[in-house]
Amino acid sequence: MRCCDLVRMWDELREGGAVPSREEVLAHLRRCVHCQEGYREFEGVAYCLTCLPVVEPPPGLVPKILDHIKSLRPANPDMFARIPSPLGDLIVAFRESGITAIAICSQDSESTLCEAIAKRLHRGLIPAQAPRWVVETVDRYFKTFDTDRSRVDISALSGFEQAALKKAAEIPPGEVRSYGWIAKEIGQPSAARAVGQVMARNPVPLLYPCHRVVDASGSLHNYAYGVDLKARILEMEGWVRRPQTARSAAYGRA
Amino acid sequence: MAALAPLRREYGLAQPAAAPAPSRLEQAPPGPENFERIVDDYQRRLYGFALRMTGNREDAEEIVQDAFVRAYRALVKMDPKQRAELRLQPWLYTITLNVTRNRLRSKRPTSVALDALADPDALLNETQEGPDQPEQIVERGADMVLVEQALLQLPMHLRAAATLRFIEGRSHPEIAEILNQPIGTVKSHVHRAVRILRRILGPEVGRVAPATPEEGESQHAVL
Repeated sequence: MRCCDLVRMWDELREGGAVPSREEVLAHLRRCVHCQEGYREFEGVAYCLTCLPVVEPPPGLVPKILDHIKSLRPANPDMFARIPSPLGDLIVAFRESGITAIAICSQDSESTLCEAIAKRLHRGLIPAQAPRWVVETVDRYFKTFDTDRSRVDISALSGFEQAALKKAAEIPPGEVRSYGWIAKEIGQPSAARAVGQVMARNPVPLLYPCHRVVDASGSLHNYAYGVDLKARILEMEGWVRRPQTARSAAYGRA
Repeated sequence: MAALAPLRREYGLAQPAAAPAPSRLEQAPPGPENFERIVDDYQRRLYGFALRMTGNREDAEEIVQDAFVRAYRALVKMDPKQRAELRLQPWLYTITLNVTRNRLRSKRPTSVALDALADPDALLNETQEGPDQPEQIVERGADMVLVEQALLQLPMHLRAAATLRFIEGRSHPEIAEILNQPIGTVKSHVHRAVRILRRILGPEVGRVAPATPEEGESQHAVL
C-alpha cells in the first residue's frame, strides 16, 4: 500500500466508514509517520469545520417565506367561455382582473384547450357565461385590431414575459417587428430567442399581438396555431406579404 | 472504528452535527399542501448552508426565501408520481446551491461579512466551557473565525463540497446527488478543500497536541 493511495481514504477512515482493506490501511498508518502526520492534518481541519457554531435563522424568516408562498396560491379558479369570432370560436379565460387566456378552436377540442390553459396559468378553469366586458374586449380587437389592455391580465407572467408582450403590443396593426427588435427595445439585446419563447407561450394571443413578431429575415417563422393562421391574421390587419427573399425561400417559409 | 476512536477529538466538545433529518415528512410525499411543514423542517439547515456559502446573513436569508419559493413552484407543477419519487432533502439543497451560485455570480467578488458569522456570545461560552486542556486548542473562538474566513476563500465548488460534508454532515452519495457529480469527484473535491484549508489555516489550527504522556501514548498505540 502506497501513501498516495491512502490519502483519499482519510475522510472515510475518520468516520469509521467502509474502507477497502481496512486492516491493511491501519497497519500502514501505524508504521508510516508521514501518513500519520497527513491524517492528523486532515482530521484537524475536518474537526474544525464540524465545530463551527450552528447558525440560527432570524425568527422572521419562516413567516416571510410562508407569506410569499401564500401570495403564490391562487384564490379562485379562472372562468372561461366560448366566444365566436372571425377566426372561429375562441375559448376565453377570465377573472375579475381581466382576460387571462385565449385559445383559438382550430383543431383541438374544447377540453384539450382548457387543459392547456389551466396548465399554463397553474389555476383551475370553470365554465361560465361571458360577461359583457369580455365579449366587448374581444369584439373590439376584431373591429379595430387594438385592445383595451386594462382588461387583459398578464400579471401572473414573469417580468421579462410581461415586458416582451407589452413591447409587442406597441407594434401597430399591419406591421411586423423581429424577435431581436423586441429584445433590444426591452434592454436585453441578446435575448431574441427568449423573446421567441415568450411569444410562443403567450397566453393571450390576438389581445397581445405575438403574431406581429417575426424573424429577422422577415419570414413569419412560426405560430402556435400554424404559420398559415399567422399570415391570415396579419393580412386581416392589413399587412402585405413581401416577395419571398432567397433566404426565406430556401427555408420554405412564408 | 474502535481502534481509531481516540483519533477523533474528544476533548470537551460535543460533535455539533446537523440536526437529525426530519422524519415526519417521510410518510406523506411533499406537496403544496404540506409545504408549511417542509419550510419549518428545512429552513434551519438551508439557512446554515447558505450562510456558510456566502458569509453574509442578508444574502443567506434571501437565498433561502428564493429557494423555498422555487421549490414550491416546482412542487405545484409535479404530478403525484414525481412527488412520491422526489428525494426532498438533496433536492432542497440543490435548489439552495443553485440560487446561491446565481447570486454570487452576479455579486462578485464574494462579500466576506465575517463578523456576521461568529456569534461572540457563543464563542465566549465555548471558550469558558472548555478550559480543561487549554494547551490543546488555544483561543478556540479565534480559531473558529479563522476557519470561517478560510472556508470563504475556497472556490465555490470546493466550498460546497466541504460545507456539505463536514458542516451539514451529508454522506458522499448524498453530496454526489446534490451536486450532480460522481462520488469520486465529490471525494476528490472534499479532499482538495481540506488541503487548501490546511494551507490557509497553517499547521497549528485544530491540531491535537498530546496533552499528557498517557494520552500521547494511547494515540501512538492507535497508530
